[in-house]
Amino acid sequence: MHTRSMFLRILWKLLGASRGRLTVALIALASGAAVCSALLNVNLDAEKKLTQEFRTFGANVVIAPPVTGGDAALADASVMDQIAAQHDPRIVSRIIAATPFLYVAANSGSQPVILAGTLFDQLSKMNSWWKLQGNWVSSGGDREQCLAGVAAARQLGLAPGSRVEMRSGGRTISLDVAGIVTTGGAEDNQIFTRLDLAQGLAGLPGKLSLVQLSVSGTTAEIEEVTRSLASAATGLEVRPVRQIAAAEGSILGRIHGLIFWTIALILALSMLGVLASMAALAMERSRDVGLMKALGGPVSRIMHLFLAEAGALGVLGGTIGFFAGAVLARWIGGRVFGVEVSPRLVILPVTVALTMLVALAGAFPLRLLGRVRPAEILRGE
Amino acid sequence: MASLVQVENLEKRFGEVRALDRVSFAIDAGEWIAIMGPSGSGKTSLINILGGLDQPTGGRVVVDGQDISRLGERDLTRYRSEKIGFVFQQFHLVPYLTAVENVMLAQYFHSITDEKEAAEALKRVGLGDRLDHVPAQLSGGEQQRVAIARALINHPKLILADEPTGNLDEANEAVILELLRELHASGHTILVVTHSPAIGNLADRRVELEHGRLARIHVPSIAKD
Repeated sequence: MHTRSMFLRILWKLLGASRGRLTVALIALASGAAVCSALLNVNLDAEKKLTQEFRTFGANVVIAPPVTGGDAALADASVMDQIAAQHDPRIVSRIIAATPFLYVAANSGSQPVILAGTLFDQLSKMNSWWKLQGNWVSSGGDREQCLAGVAAARQLGLAPGSRVEMRSGGRTISLDVAGIVTTGGAEDNQIFTRLDLAQGLAGLPGKLSLVQLSVSGTTAEIEEVTRSLASAATGLEVRPVRQIAAAEGSILGRIHGLIFWTIALILALSMLGVLASMAALAMERSRDVGLMKALGGPVSRIMHLFLAEAGALGVLGGTIGFFAGAVLARWIGGRVFGVEVSPRLVILPVTVALTMLVALAGAFPLRLLGRVRPAEILRGE
Repeated sequence: MASLVQVENLEKRFGEVRALDRVSFAIDAGEWIAIMGPSGSGKTSLINILGGLDQPTGGRVVVDGQDISRLGERDLTRYRSEKIGFVFQQFHLVPYLTAVENVMLAQYFHSITDEKEAAEALKRVGLGDRLDHVPAQLSGGEQQRVAIARALINHPKLILADEPTGNLDEANEAVILELLRELHASGHTILVVTHSPAIGNLADRRVELEHGRLARIHVPSIAKD
């Protein structure tokens, strides 16, 4: 018989012996593996969910003409067609919203005010967190409606349902105030209306100040989209909004860090559980090791047997833990992140490998069996 | 006939205690030697050194032309697997392996395993119907017979038996002694540590130790004459 067959035969018998202690070690390993698998699964889906949610908090990429001299340069509105003409599905799927703006310096009565012409359907996708009093303006709605920023409304004495007259360069438009928005940013000082109305008032048909985009994904993925858009929008600058990207990266980094350290802690605790069982097991096995050494068993060959036993426990614990962790991940995902977590098979080898390492580290007391002196053990000392 | 084992001025100290004190004797191939003496006389120290389980503090032990007192741990391990067959008072079988697997364990550490040969060895000691029994399912005598089969499986140069009948009743003791007789008759070299005068009388020579020293070497057949 080949020595490998005998090795497996002894290993099988070892796993059948000391079932109580091995079961305790297996429970410790499977518990650790379950939490590890659950957190790794949650980590992947939560990142996806969080990056989606980040994208409702405003633009993270801006396309604008390069600044030259003192006057604000304008872009051609055809840039919107160039964005829409992106074919790569990876790029298209990451662009959540593309909102054009034309900023017009206007007056209402004697008060200067910034009128921002935009597309309201895109604006709402990108800024769903804006606080609105009154109603939103839809792109297909009345031509003469607007949203007023809360500071501008206060300055001009506007409320939902009131009317405001805007003048610029000798042209005038009257707008019904559909709602008042509170953004906490510069938008609170602006009045928003349809893009074509603003272009008409400014006498700049087909012109834009800039396009704000909401792009989902990691920093690297956002940069990939930025590069693709930059090659399409010739003559314009495409740049990520660094502060937002950095904030998102920081939050994701902290979540990753929290999950990493939690996994490390859980695995360390599992290892302690395994260590306790293995220490007791080592006491039980010292006589067997002494005998094996007396029979001429090399230390390395004997240790392979016991480490293989620990490794097998790790594989079994890791596999059980992966499936238990998949169930746990669904529960955590729903309760904590409000996301349905789908177990991923790629987590299985990671969980099994980590659990096997923990089992082997926890089997340290078994390694000490290599120092057993057979003469003492066989005398019963 | 050339000696298989030469023990020359063998010393073993544990701190201030001299377990063996300048012990010298030789064993010829095919000889049956009984090591006798009261508790603490150095019998166990002697068998441990001869079996490569311990190393002497002084002196020399040559077995089959190899000076084992100078061997390192790795070479002693190989020496045990290739040249020594152990039979212990407490049997020392692995409790979760069957009888045949316990015999195969010695094969496994020696070279390659052969289940048929292991089963054959068990049949020779009368355990052909107990191959798949674990030690807990065997009587003391049967366990000792498994240990004898295990000791013989790698065709060792020297069989070392430490009180092989010490834990057995009379009936089983008789079975084991008969097996030892057969082994001796078939040319095996046997060294038995025993308190039993009956076993000592079966040996070719009795080496008697007292306080770690060689007290006398007794030849039972001459005494009987």
